[in-house]
Amino acid sequence: MSRLQSSINTASADFRRNEAHNRRLVAEFKAKQEAARHARPQRDLDRLARQQKMPQRKRIEILLDPGTPFLELSSLAANMAYGGESPSASSIVGIGMVSGREVMIRADDPTVKGGAWYPLTVKKIVRALDIAMENRLPVVHLCDSAGGFLQLQSELFPDRYMGGRIFRNQSMLSKMGVKQLALVFGHCTAGGAYIPGLSDYSVIVRGTGAVFLGGPPLVKAATGEDVTVEELGGAEMHTSVSGTCDYPADSEEHAIEIGRDIVSQWDRLPRWEAQREAPEEPFYDPAEIYGIVPDAIKKAFDMREIIARIVDGSRFHEYKPNYGTTLVCGFANIWGFKVGILANNGVLFNDSSIKGAHFIELCNQNNTPLVFLQNITGYMVGREYERRGITKDGAKMIMAQSCSRVPKFTVMCNGSFGAGNYGMCGRAFDGRFLFSWPNHQIGVMGGDQAANTLAEVKANQMKRNGGAVDKGEIDRLWDETRKAYQEQLSAYYSTSELWDDGIIDPLDTRNALGVAISASLNAPLGPPGYGVFRF
Amino acid sequence: MVLKLDLDGTVHHVTILARRPHLVLSVDGRRHVVEALDEAGDGSRRLTVDGAPVSFARAGSADGAIIRLDGRSFALRRRDAAEASAAGGGANVVRAPMPGTVIVVHKRVGDSVQRGETIVTIESMKLQMKLDAPRDGEIAEIAAREGEGFDKDAVLARLVATAEG
Amino acid sequence: MMTAPDDNPPFRKVLIANRGEIACRIIRTLREMGIASVAIHHPVEARARHVREADQAVEISGETPVAAHLDIAQIVDAARAVGADAIHPGYGFLSENARFARAVAEAGLTFIGPDADTIALMGDKISARQFAADHGVPVAPSVMPTQDLAEFTRRATEIGFPLLIKAAAGGGGKGMSIVRSAEELEGAARLAASEAQRYFGDGRVYAELFVERPRHIEVQVFGDGKGGAIHLFERECSVQRRFQKIIEEAPAANLPAALRDEICASAVRLAAASNYRNAGTVEYILGADGRFFFLEMNTRLQVEHPVTEMITGLDLVRLQIEIAAGRDLPFTQDEVSANGHAIECRICAEDPEHDFLPETGTILHLDAPQAAYLRFENALDRGQRVTADFDPMLAKLVAHGPDRAGATRRSIAALHDLSLLGVKTNIDYLARVLGHPAFAAGELHTGFVIQHKAELTAAEPDEATRDKVLIAAALGLRDFRDLILGVPEPHASIGPWRN
Repeated sequence: MSRLQSSINTASADFRRNEAHNRRLVAEFKAKQEAARHARPQRDLDRLARQQKMPQRKRIEILLDPGTPFLELSSLAANMAYGGESPSASSIVGIGMVSGREVMIRADDPTVKGGAWYPLTVKKIVRALDIAMENRLPVVHLCDSAGGFLQLQSELFPDRYMGGRIFRNQSMLSKMGVKQLALVFGHCTAGGAYIPGLSDYSVIVRGTGAVFLGGPPLVKAATGEDVTVEELGGAEMHTSVSGTCDYPADSEEHAIEIGRDIVSQWDRLPRWEAQREAPEEPFYDPAEIYGIVPDAIKKAFDMREIIARIVDGSRFHEYKPNYGTTLVCGFANIWGFKVGILANNGVLFNDSSIKGAHFIELCNQNNTPLVFLQNITGYMVGREYERRGITKDGAKMIMAQSCSRVPKFTVMCNGSFGAGNYGMCGRAFDGRFLFSWPNHQIGVMGGDQAANTLAEVKANQMKRNGGAVDKGEIDRLWDETRKAYQEQLSAYYSTSELWDDGIIDPLDTRNALGVAISASLNAPLGPPGYGVFRF
Repeated sequence: MVLKLDLDGTVHHVTILARRPHLVLSVDGRRHVVEALDEAGDGSRRLTVDGAPVSFARAGSADGAIIRLDGRSFALRRRDAAEASAAGGGANVVRAPMPGTVIVVHKRVGDSVQRGETIVTIESMKLQMKLDAPRDGEIAEIAAREGEGFDKDAVLARLVATAEG
Repeated sequence: MMTAPDDNPPFRKVLIANRGEIACRIIRTLREMGIASVAIHHPVEARARHVREADQAVEISGETPVAAHLDIAQIVDAARAVGADAIHPGYGFLSENARFARAVAEAGLTFIGPDADTIALMGDKISARQFAADHGVPVAPSVMPTQDLAEFTRRATEIGFPLLIKAAAGGGGKGMSIVRSAEELEGAARLAASEAQRYFGDGRVYAELFVERPRHIEVQVFGDGKGGAIHLFERECSVQRRFQKIIEEAPAANLPAALRDEICASAVRLAAASNYRNAGTVEYILGADGRFFFLEMNTRLQVEHPVTEMITGLDLVRLQIEIAAGRDLPFTQDEVSANGHAIECRICAEDPEHDFLPETGTILHLDAPQAAYLRFENALDRGQRVTADFDPMLAKLVAHGPDRAGATRRSIAALHDLSLLGVKTNIDYLARVLGHPAFAAGELHTGFVIQHKAELTAAEPDEATRDKVLIAAALGLRDFRDLILGVPEPHASIGPWRN
C-alpha cells in the first residue's frame, strides 16, 4: 500500500484561516463538554461529598484498567434540551477496558436531580444497551439514580424505545450471554431498581446503596408504613435477605474492586478475527486536519487529505481512482485494523454511486469493516441524471450498504444533506458507531437551499393567486426558514438528540475508530446476502 | 485502578500510565519507564527502570511481596479495599444459622471486636457453636441473652463499623 | 577443607544427635571420610535437609520437636538399633550433657566429645571456675554461689562494683544482670535467684567483677585425653545481641601477639590439666586494660568453628572423629599455622528493629552467593516453615580474606548478595554492623550493638530505591501483571486517551 501524497501547503493563507476557524470550533466544543462534565451547582457537589460519594467520573477512572483508553459516547447529549438542565443527558456512557475486557460502562449522574432520568437519558441508555447488543459488549452499570423524571413521564415511559426498552435490552443481553454487572452506589428507585435486578451480578455499597421499587416516601403514602432506606432496600437486606444483590461492599472503592474481580472471572469470548497488521502512526500530522477542513460548509476539500491523517502510515490503496471520482473508495488500516473507506469528494453521480455499491460488495466479500467519511450534499439532481437513473443507482448503493454484514462506522466530517446521508450510512442504517465533528451540519437540505426552495414555492403561490409578489414577506420567510434550519442543522442539535454517538475533536477520529472497530469485533458477522438491486 | 502498597507503614500508589512502546508506571506520581519486563514469579530477577538495569530478588507473600534490592530486604503489603474487606467484608449482623439457645454472650454493647472474635456461643441440636464477628467493628446491639432461645435467622448481634481502619 | 576419603575409617556409621546446618555439616565430613551417617528427626522435620542428606534417618518422637531431640534414651536406642558405632552430638541439645555422654558410653558406643566427667566438671560454672583458678587460669574476683542472699550481698559488696550477677547453673544470659551500686544489689540478686530457679531448677546465684566493655575471646583447643593438648588459635565473639553471639571472627582484632600467646597458653594449660579429650573452647572476657578472665569452657564443637577451620585449613569435625576413635593428635602445636582472617555471621530469623525478637515465616526464595572463600552453612529449603520450634538461627555465612579488612569486605558483599526471603532476618543488620567504622577499627566489646544502636538502625531508603522496590513488588503481583499484559490491542497502544 502506498503512502498518500499530500498537497497541503501549511503556510498558505487558506490553511491558516481554516486552522484558526476549526481550532475555535474545537475549543467551543471542549468548553461545552467541560461544562457538561463538571459544572454543577455547588450544593449538589457538597451533597455528594457529604454522602462520601465519589463523582461518577472518578468511579469510572478507578474502574478502568489504568493506562487504557475510554471512548466516551454522546458527551453532549441533551445539550440543547430542557434548558440545559440535564448535562450529558444526566448519564455517562462509554467503552473501556476493565480487567482486560472491553466493556460498555453506563453510569447515572447523581449530581443532576439525584440522577433522575430525563427522556433523553432514557434514549442514551437504550442506545448504550443497543451498542452492547450489536457488539456483544458486557455492560457495567454504575447505578445512582432517583428514577424517571416524573414531570416528563409521557416522553420517557410509554413508547417502544422508552423506559421499558432499557429492561428489555438488559434481558436480551443476558439471553445472548452478554454479561452485565451493576455496581449500586446510590439509590436505584422504581424502574431503576430493575437495573441491578436484571444484571447478572450486582454489588451494593453499605450505607449509601439502596434498591427499591418505591422509596420510603412512596411506601408511606401508599401503605402508611414507616420504613428506613436501610430496612427497605439497603445492602444488608438485599445481600442477606432478598438476594436482589450479590455482594455487599464497605466502600465505593471496595465495590469497584469487587466489580473488577467479577469482570476478571468472565470468559473472553472469541472475537471475530479481522485482518490486522501492526499499527503505525499516520505519516502526516493529524493536527493538519484543522487547516484542511474549510471555514465554510460550502467550500470543497479533498477527503484524501483527511484519510492521510487518520490511517496507519497515511497508506491508502485507492479503488477505481479514475472512475466516479466524487466518491473516494479504498483500503487502509486504522490502528492495524483493515478497513474499507468511502469518502465524499463531491456530489454523488451515477458512476460514483455504482462504484460505491461495488466497493461495499467487495468489502463484504472480504470481511472488511466499512468506514464512511461523510461530506455529502446529496445525489445529483436534474433531467439528465434522472434519465440516467440516478435514483436507481443511488438505491443500489443504499441496498448494498444497508445489507452489509461487516461492521460499519460513520464519521460526519462536514455536511450531510439529502439522500447522500442514506447511501453513506446515516444514523438510520445501523452503523455500529457514528461520530460527528463540531463543524458538521445535517439536514434534508442546506439552510440556504431550504430557504430558497420555500421562498420559491411561496412566490409561485402568490403569483398563482394573481397577486404581486410581496418581496418583504418572501424575505421574512427566507430568513425564518434559514434560521430554524441553521439551528437544527448544527452538530450540537444532532448530538443533543442522540442522532450520533457524540461529537469528537477531529484529532480524536483515529482513536475513536480504533476503539469502536475493536469493540465491533466482539460480535460475529451477520448473514451474507442482499435484497433486489434495481438494474 | 491504583495499586496501594504499604512499605514500613507508608502507603504508596503504583499505577500504569502506558504500555506502549514501553511500560510506563507511576509511583506516587513519579513516572518511570520500565523495559525488559522480568519473568513472573519468585526468584532473582532483572528489570530496566529509566534506562538503568535493576537486579533484585522477589518473593510473593500472601498479601504482598518481599523484595531484596541493593542488599536490603523490603516487605510490602497490599493495602486496598479488598484488604479493608478482609478486615470486615462480612455483614453487619450476626444471625443464627439454626434455631437454638444462647449459651454464652462473650461481648457487650460498645465493645470493639475484630473479625473472627467470638461474640456468642449457641447450642443447637446438641451442638455448640461459636458465632464470630463477621468484620471489624463495634458491637451496636446484642439481642441474645444467655439461656434464651431463638429462631433460625434471628439477629443475635449487630455491629457498626468503627472509624476508617 | 576437602580431604581424601579415609582408607581406614575410624567408624562405620555415626548417628548425628542434632539437626539443621550442623547436622548437614557433620554429614559432609562423614561422607568424605567414608563413614555412613544417620540423621534423627521429629515428625515435623521429616523432610528436612539433614534427613535427606544423611544415608539413613530415624524418626524420634516427643511432645515437642525439641523434647524429642533431648530424649537421651530414645536417641541412644536409635543409635543401637541402626548399628551406629558412634554419636556426634553437634552443638546445643545434648552436646554438653554429661548424662548423655555417659549413656552413650554405657551403650557401648563412642561419644564424639569429651568424657562425661569432663563435661560435668566444665558444665558447672562454679566447679569449672575453681578448676581454672586451681590451674593458674585467671578468674574474675567473685562471690561463690549461695542461696543465702544476705551473705551473698555482704560478700559481693566487698569486691566492689560493677558486678555481674549470674545463675550458677545458667547460660544464654538467663538470670544475668549487671549491678552498679550496693542499693541495686539485693533486688538484683533476688531476681537472679528466682529466674535461675525457674529456668534451671537451681536457685544458686553468684557474682563476679564486671569488666566494662569486655571483649569476648575464646580459644579452640583439642586434647588427646592423655594430657596432650594444643590450641587452634583464638576467636573473637564480641559482637553479641541479647547475650548471644552474632558475628565471630578469627583471629581476634588488634590483639597484641604476647597477649594472644598468653591467652592461648592458659587455655592449653586448662585442657591439659583436665586430660581433655576432643574439641573444646575456653572462653574469656578481655578488659581494655589487657586483663583477661576465664568465663567458661564449652565441651563441644562451637557454632563458630568454621572461622577457625578457614584460617587453619583444618576440618575440626574430622579431627573430632579421629580423636574420638582413639587416634593421636595428628600434628603438634608448631605444625598449626593461621592464614588470613575469617568472619562468621549468624543469619537469624529475627527483627533487629524490634529488640531482635524471633520471627517466623516460610522460606520463599533462597539464593546464596558462592565463592571459594565463602561458606554458607545452612539446611534451608524453599517452602520450609520457620517456626518457633527451634532456635532462630537459620544459617551461617563465613568468609575468609587475606586480612581482616578483606574478610569484612567479602562478608559485606556476600550479605548483600544473599537473598533469603519469606522471613524477616538480620542479614541487612549484620551488613550494617560490618560496615560500621567502629567494627572496621576493631573497637569491639560485647555492648557493641547497644552502643551503636542509632547508627545500626536501617536508614530510610532513598526515593529512587523505594520506587524501584515498589515497581519490583508491583510486577510480582499476579493481578497487576495481568493488568499490564492482559490488555489487548489497540487499547494497549492507544493508552490512557480520553475524548
